[in-house]
Amino acid sequence: MTIGTVDPSQSRHDAAQSIVDLRDVHLNLRSAAGEVNILRGISLDIRAGATVSIVGPSGAGKSTLMMIVSGLESASSGQVQVAGHDLSALGEDALAEFRRDNIGIVFQAFRLIPTMTAMENVAIPLELAGTGDAFRQARESLGRVGLADRVQHYPDQLSGGEQQRVAIARAFVSKPALLLADEPTGNLDRTTGDSVVELLFDLQTRHGTTLVLITHDEILATRCDRIIRMADGLILAEPTSSDTTLKTA
Amino acid sequence: MRYWALAARLARRELRGSLGNFRVFLACLALGVAAIAGVGSVSDAMHTGISRDARQLLGGDISIRMSHRTMPADARAALGQAGQVSEAITMRAMTQSGQGGRRTLVELKAVDGVYPLIGAMALEPAIPLAQALEERDGTMGAVIDPSLSRRLGVAVGDRLRIGNHDFEIRAEIAKEPDRTIRFATFGPRVMVTSAALPRTGLVTEGSLVHYHYRVALPKPTNVPAWIKNFDAAYPKAGWRIRSTQNAAPGFERFIARVTQFLTLVGLTALLVGGVGIANAVRSFLDQRTGTIATLKCLGAPGGLIFTTYLIQVMVLATVGVVIGSAIGAIAPPLTAHLLSGVFPVTIPLGFYWKPIGMAALFGYVTTLAFAVWPLGRARNVSAAQLFRALVVPPDGWPNPGYIALTAVAALALAALAFFATDDPRLALSFIIGACGVLVVFGGGTALLLRLIRRLPSPRHPGLRLAIANLHRPDNTTPSIVLSLGLGLTVLVTVALVQFNMAYQITQQIPKQAPSYFFIDIQPHQVEPFTTLVRSISGVAKLEHTPMVRGRIVRVAGVPIEQVKPDKDIAWAVNGDRGLTYATHLPEDAKVVAGDWWPEDYSGPPLISFDANVARGLGVGIGDTITLNVLGREITATIVNLRHIDWATLGMNFVFVFAPGTLEAAPHSVISAVYAEGTEAEEAVQGLVTERFPNISAIRVKDALENANRILDAVAIAVRTTASVTLLAGIFVLAGAVVAGQHRRIHDAVILKVLGATRRRVLFSYLVEYAILGLLTAIVASAVGTVLGYFIITELMRAEFVVSAMAIGLTVSIALLSTIGLGLFGTWRALGMKAAPLLRNK
Repeated sequence: MTIGTVDPSQSRHDAAQSIVDLRDVHLNLRSAAGEVNILRGISLDIRAGATVSIVGPSGAGKSTLMMIVSGLESASSGQVQVAGHDLSALGEDALAEFRRDNIGIVFQAFRLIPTMTAMENVAIPLELAGTGDAFRQARESLGRVGLADRVQHYPDQLSGGEQQRVAIARAFVSKPALLLADEPTGNLDRTTGDSVVELLFDLQTRHGTTLVLITHDEILATRCDRIIRMADGLILAEPTSSDTTLKTA
Repeated sequence: MRYWALAARLARRELRGSLGNFRVFLACLALGVAAIAGVGSVSDAMHTGISRDARQLLGGDISIRMSHRTMPADARAALGQAGQVSEAITMRAMTQSGQGGRRTLVELKAVDGVYPLIGAMALEPAIPLAQALEERDGTMGAVIDPSLSRRLGVAVGDRLRIGNHDFEIRAEIAKEPDRTIRFATFGPRVMVTSAALPRTGLVTEGSLVHYHYRVALPKPTNVPAWIKNFDAAYPKAGWRIRSTQNAAPGFERFIARVTQFLTLVGLTALLVGGVGIANAVRSFLDQRTGTIATLKCLGAPGGLIFTTYLIQVMVLATVGVVIGSAIGAIAPPLTAHLLSGVFPVTIPLGFYWKPIGMAALFGYVTTLAFAVWPLGRARNVSAAQLFRALVVPPDGWPNPGYIALTAVAALALAALAFFATDDPRLALSFIIGACGVLVVFGGGTALLLRLIRRLPSPRHPGLRLAIANLHRPDNTTPSIVLSLGLGLTVLVTVALVQFNMAYQITQQIPKQAPSYFFIDIQPHQVEPFTTLVRSISGVAKLEHTPMVRGRIVRVAGVPIEQVKPDKDIAWAVNGDRGLTYATHLPEDAKVVAGDWWPEDYSGPPLISFDANVARGLGVGIGDTITLNVLGREITATIVNLRHIDWATLGMNFVFVFAPGTLEAAPHSVISAVYAEGTEAEEAVQGLVTERFPNISAIRVKDALENANRILDAVAIAVRTTASVTLLAGIFVLAGAVVAGQHRRIHDAVILKVLGATRRRVLFSYLVEYAILGLLTAIVASAVGTVLGYFIITELMRAEFVVSAMAIGLTVSIALLSTIGLGLFGTWRALGMKAAPLLRNK
């Protein structure tokens, strides 16, 4: 059995092309109370290398949009094209491999694996991809986020800010085409949050990664090339930008 | 390869600090494996001990037994040429401590000067056997079992009357090398010399006497070939030859049977433990939901998740299996210590890899059978939840592949049960029983929970909360009722069966059984014996029948060695059986097939046969049975089948011949005497044995008491082993309490925030665990009583009586376990301060 059945030629995307291309995406979920329409016709095009923030109230569908883009949730209808892959055509394991090769995710709650050291946490995506020198790269990645001296520490031995740095190192270590960050500073104090944001943007610039950022912080949102506002499962409006094309509201 | 290496690496990381989550898992697995490994190791050790000391137990390389008569001279001469021979004679006899002293039945053994050929007699005082038994001033010596000293109040130097001779007790027997464990002993051992036996006057024509010839063959001798040749040279000898291959066949059969039973008890414990294994794995994976979601989010395929945690579970299973095997491995030395002095051979110490390997295999397969389901479900964790505050474990069924894998593991477990018990019927009954009990427990619990849910909600908030806790989502009620209930079911079944058997032996059977059997009555003594017994007041009934010993040599023309009888009737073809003849149908007999012969029958030999034995041998009316009676082969045709109720302890015979065949054979008469009241009983024994010293009296009450003692000992062993199942159930309960700890703390904190006092919360938990205990007790008592009823009425064909004590014990254990462990587990929850927990939320 091997890991990695997604065609590598598809995984690195041409910078001139759209990295995220959603067309009329709906997501309806059944609950005890009946059917709930989480996303109600989202169309969105994000060019490679761009930074995009998604803002909106709780329940607007921001996180769900992230799930759809990362292949963690399947759209009820519509077309989802990410990094050249039609996600609706991929099975569960192929989606896992797609994420491994193309997507980095930073969560509000860090989501580090508590039984693994910082280095092991960072090395995991590379190990899953079968990279030979996973630990050397993980060590370098941790060095880049300023945690060279914390490589053997377990998550519960690190502060919140340090844990989020490990999460960022993990997200960037496999040099993904697309980085999704869900409220990356939500669990951090202002000072720590600011330094984490600096790091995030610094690495994004250095790697040329496309960054999609969910935030409640308007100041942080404005640091992105483009701001998408969502409410009630719809994209409301968007300032004009050379990198984005609004197709549906 | 890389896939497995990565899974192993991830599993190793996940193992860090997770051992604490698997305490119950390890305990359940180790307990079950230890039980199976221990039982198997002790059994193997006993078999090894018996085969190592087989020559000593047998008294030589070969032992030949003849009933009623000695070996023909030419055969005896041939034996003498083959090797060194030792002769011994055994019989039952009455003894009396001096003139007018107490009387009792003993097992008399008369030995020659070379006895024992193998091993040594140990006497107290330590004098040589020959010296102890020699004649001094016209009095022969005897050595006796210490229990006879106690029973008759005699000591070394006292006189002991046997038949017509007064022996002098010269020593007590400390060790008799060729004495194996027998369950049907009629009295303590008395040993004298063969030369002294004629002085007793006990050996007369037809007396029930066995002649034993032990031969030490020169080495090297091909013993099986020698036996075959010797048997072929004397085809009609009618002896029973044993070699070291079957030195203690009865005892080995007993060990095999007990091993089978205890292995199944161990397997039950393992199955109960399996519930704990499943709970522990599920609980651990629930805690790891976030990690699994993260791994999936980072690109780990579902199969890798499954493999990672499977490796982890199997590594932990190895720890449990090693602990269990280690405990099982030390069982033989422990048993050797406990049985020293009881078991006839020294139990050899050693590592018995075969039973331990089998137990380990059981452990691994059980782990797989119970862990694959929660492991398969874990791969369904939704990674999308990582974007939410709460990551919850998946519910529903795993993918079909994992369901199939679980089924394969369950089938493998069933196959192992077949292999381990080596008795397809028993294994099948166990498997069907286990499945049935699972269904009954599952269904019973669901039904009771549904009933509880439908009951009107109590007004008392504590009571309402307690009842709601039993059936709220993710409740552990079914697994606790199942696991603890299974243990209790085994216990209640064993208690009921034991109670009913004891009830039969002490209450029911004595009501209809005779008071005495008198054996070795010579035909000419029948009349004076009858007159004497009838003259004693209180004698209600007297029956006698002629008896001669014989053994089956052919069944429907097929040599008995080639016949494979059913296990339950094997006793009828193993060795000698009592044979009788009758003109009329015996009083209590019921002919179930064919017809009884006419009164004036004269013609070829006919027999009336036990219907059950006929079924087990696969014969019926018109088939022939060939018996060797005193060296003569008699082929008789079965003309009718009788149903025999052995529980009446009446004079029942498997074989009853029609008139005209056995009358001429030298035989004795056996008599059953029914006396009312102790006085009449004592008078019967005293007067008969006084007047007829050669007649031996077997007191039925003594035999029943002996049987009850054996039953008690067996029951203690069975109950101890059954407790292992209960212990496994308690482990599972403890595991469920620990798993629910987090929820309890959360609930307790919220309730306290809302104004509930600790006392009120405690009351609510107390009621919840009490109801849980009662639920378990109700289901276990019901299932246990049904099983007990089935065993007693269907298998033992006896009347079933419910024991309130057995049910009371079940309820008490259930309540004590659930309330005790439940409150122990919730004590911490009650002591938690609300603020830190709320801040973390």
